[in-house]
Amino acid sequence: MNKNNNLVLRLKFNTIKHIYFLFPLLLFPVLIHAQMIIRGSLTGKITDKNGQPIASANLILQPDMHQVQTDKNGYFTFKNIIAGEYNITVSYIGHQLYQSNVQIEADKKNNIKIILEEEENTLKQVTVYSKETKADNLLDIQRSAMPVTVITKETIAQMGSRRLDEVLKEQTGIAVVNDIGGGARAVGVQMQGFGSDYVMILIDGQPMVGRNSGNFDLSRISVSNIERIEIIKGASSCLFGSEALGGAINIVTRHGAFQPQALASVRYGSLHIVDATLEGETPFHHQRGSANISANYYRTDGFNTDPNFLSGGTTAPPYDDYTLQGRVRYRLTENSTLGASGRYALRKSFMEQIFGNNENQNSAADSQNITDINASVTYDNLFDNGLRSMSRYYLTRYVSDMSILWQESGSQTSAEKFAQTLHRFEQQFSYAPVTDLKLTAGLGGTSEQMDNRNFNVPGGMWSGFTYLQADWKMNDKFEAVGGFRYDHNNSYGGKLNPSLGLQYHIIPKLTLKIAMGSGFKTPDYRQRYQVFMNPTANYLVIGSEILRATLEEMKNNGQISEVREYLVNQLDQNLQAEKSLSFNGGFTYTPKKNIKLDVNAFYHNISNQINSIRVATGTNVRDIYTYQNLPKSFNTGLEMSLSIRPLSGLDISTGYQYLIAKDRGVMDSISNGTGAYASIRDNATGLFRKSRLSDYFGIENRSRHMANLRAAYNYTPWDITGNIRVNYRGKYGFVDSNNNRFLDQYDIFVKGHFLLNAAIEKKLMKQRLSLQLTADNIMDYTDRLMPGQPGRVLLLGLKYRFYKE
Amino acid sequence: MKTIKIIYRLLPVLSLWLAFTSCSNNENSDTSAGLEDGKSTVIKDLAGDTNGSMGEGVDGKTKKGFDTFLFRFSDKKQIWIRNAADSAQYLKTKDWDIAFTGPYNSEVYVNKGSYEFNPGYGGTATSAVVKIDKPYAEVDTAPSDEAFAASEINKIGWAVNESAAGWFFYSLNTHIMIAIKNRTYAIKLPDGKYAKLELINAYQGNPPTVTNLNWPAPYFTFRYYVQNDGSKNLNTK
Repeated sequence: MNKNNNLVLRLKFNTIKHIYFLFPLLLFPVLIHAQMIIRGSLTGKITDKNGQPIASANLILQPDMHQVQTDKNGYFTFKNIIAGEYNITVSYIGHQLYQSNVQIEADKKNNIKIILEEEENTLKQVTVYSKETKADNLLDIQRSAMPVTVITKETIAQMGSRRLDEVLKEQTGIAVVNDIGGGARAVGVQMQGFGSDYVMILIDGQPMVGRNSGNFDLSRISVSNIERIEIIKGASSCLFGSEALGGAINIVTRHGAFQPQALASVRYGSLHIVDATLEGETPFHHQRGSANISANYYRTDGFNTDPNFLSGGTTAPPYDDYTLQGRVRYRLTENSTLGASGRYALRKSFMEQIFGNNENQNSAADSQNITDINASVTYDNLFDNGLRSMSRYYLTRYVSDMSILWQESGSQTSAEKFAQTLHRFEQQFSYAPVTDLKLTAGLGGTSEQMDNRNFNVPGGMWSGFTYLQADWKMNDKFEAVGGFRYDHNNSYGGKLNPSLGLQYHIIPKLTLKIAMGSGFKTPDYRQRYQVFMNPTANYLVIGSEILRATLEEMKNNGQISEVREYLVNQLDQNLQAEKSLSFNGGFTYTPKKNIKLDVNAFYHNISNQINSIRVATGTNVRDIYTYQNLPKSFNTGLEMSLSIRPLSGLDISTGYQYLIAKDRGVMDSISNGTGAYASIRDNATGLFRKSRLSDYFGIENRSRHMANLRAAYNYTPWDITGNIRVNYRGKYGFVDSNNNRFLDQYDIFVKGHFLLNAAIEKKLMKQRLSLQLTADNIMDYTDRLMPGQPGRVLLLGLKYRFYKE
Repeated sequence: MKTIKIIYRLLPVLSLWLAFTSCSNNENSDTSAGLEDGKSTVIKDLAGDTNGSMGEGVDGKTKKGFDTFLFRFSDKKQIWIRNAADSAQYLKTKDWDIAFTGPYNSEVYVNKGSYEFNPGYGGTATSAVVKIDKPYAEVDTAPSDEAFAASEINKIGWAVNESAAGWFFYSLNTHIMIAIKNRTYAIKLPDGKYAKLELINAYQGNPPTVTNLNWPAPYFTFRYYVQNDGSKNLNTK
């Protein structure tokens, strides 16, 4: 019977395809018929574990929000549901929340039986979506060798966060830090000790561009249209190539739904923050296509963390952000789908910073406009033999225009305008030769252009790549994931990056995991071709490719007083790609259904790290720098997370990271007593003494200890959820203040601190309307050394969902 | 279940601890507060050449170098050297005690006519300076005349290493000048009197730590004490 049905369906599809191409107008009646076939129903019975029926239990089918209740005999029916994969949630007082994926087949009465367990407190497991939902990327990022953290849209919604940086800085081992040397707008993410330069940011598996001194400002991204965030900690060049040297953050945007629905939400509160979203999703052409569009407007006044020294203006920039995002998918045949997605984001920001007052007032007018475009087209095809192919083309363009003007004198202190364009084509294949082995392979190419008024790049940069990944479940006890990727860059040649992860389920409650992977990052345009002058701080940085030529020219103009020739000889046109090796080892222990403990030790070794070095002194410019490869540095530490569910509806989770991040070059210099590193000055006494290795605290901006605690409670009968989150960041070095070029106890540190956040949400009108109160940084903790961390922010939000019953 | 109960008990303790530790911070304290001692002269935010810029052909402020200025302790007078006439009128005289030269006026000289690169080169003044790595208040006597005579300190600028006599460090990461704490300079002035000097900051408002690459500079905060009776007593307590 079932077989026949499928056959009928397939025949119909084939018919449709042929007619479609011949007589599009005649198609109408056929498709209406097809639409009726494509619906099914879901019925079932809910009982407790003794087989007694449960009446009045609530059932919700996502993503379309169909809701029903069981009758007095425990039966329920969802009628006329469009075929597809759904997530079903069942809630009933005194019983655990039940969640599962169900497949509703067309023209069929699908029947399921659900047994609700009594409140015995089981942890809610994150549902790992099966391949059906992987709309535009065959690489399963969640099955990467390196440890992966997934943040779901439910978690984001509960936190009440607006921008991506706010979500990420509450995750274990992740911090959002200001890069003082990069200017007031240079903010980036730090992960397991890796700076923002080494963390690749992707949208639906495609790289995003646009960095400020290497920092990717995550506040550019609104979380309103995010389905989930996947975070890979550790070298991931095996998956993504250059730049994923220290890890990757992939933003998965929302897919279309099966039924038309829309959402309108607005938040307003402190700092005149407005966060307004309009979203609509609909199937079209009788379920063969789906479309989704989302528009977001966000604004903030910014915040001044330094009112004692800044009489006006802000340290965290005010901005207005506009984002328009959309996605269309259309099933061409039963086995092939064409998809397209686009994102257009605009930021307009004007930040004033007023120093001093009266006749001594200096006010900086710092403006930045950003335009960010991401567009992609995918073609997904499943062959009869089980081979799946995904062809992807991606285009991104980022334009930033920054300038700083001193308003009193009318003089410009810095101005930078640049545009970066990237084209990328990729062909992916996935194939499962046997049930327990899945292979994913791909090849592609990237071309990148950069226009900057400060420098010209001869030609562009292009690279080609190919990779193979395997996901193998050897038996009940062993699982292995791994693979390799080969990248070829037109300037930096070939790089091969392997990775391997092994899991051993010793007993069902205990799983051991080990993994290793490698990463690399080719020097960027800035490091190769830019001649950057900072008049305020009085230094000049010359890209390595044009070092000698630029110095010669300056010498001829009489602008050079001293050149360190041996360094120029060594560094001119000789900048190497940075490399990393990551090792991870740990275990997952689930002693009970409601307790889960994850412990993971990590060691990342980074070599050839690029840093600036002084090569010359100018007659007017004090210091002239270029870039060099430093020998080695490392980040090592331990990460732990514990989740418990003491009561039904109450989830408590906690995370902790211990981190040591040190530069081996500095360690060698201290041990060998080289130059400035040899001594240490106690600023309180003015006395110098010989420095010891134990004086070295580590690299700037890295906290030894970071921790978080989160408690969330969901009271289903009232449709109320609330959570309270505490984030701790241990002290970290801000700047070396006794001139030995490394952080020691006498230097300036940012104090360890706690930030307390909470949110409460009440849903009304059958969950159509939701009211949310969000409070960030409740204790109003600010520090002038953390210019980007605003004080207390209170927001009230209102959200309404439109959908058919 | 035991662990859960323990966590429950810990929650209120944790929240209390949070309430007490969350809102304290000493970076916000005014660094100028402890400078006044009743005897010394404290100069706050003395504007240097804030229109100067570095390098040629750069989008600087006025596309020119920094003008030197001189400073006289006795009447807190700032004397600008804008042109040749200013140079001729002031440089070779004993009418100034210290000169602020170079990039951001950050390189300080005492008035010493015998040194080739001193702004007062060729003049008659015979000042000398000795670096003392001690808190300003604890420097209560000027060094011996032999020490002054033996001192080889000329330019007081960026202290590139331990032995350098400069007044600030320069961070290669943040590109910000950081004044060296508890470093005092004893000076024998052109008129033979003894003085001590502490250079405190080059940034406007005298912030304890500069948190912005574009923080306005040069605005000098410094303090000094001149012993007018001609003795070596520099006690300011």
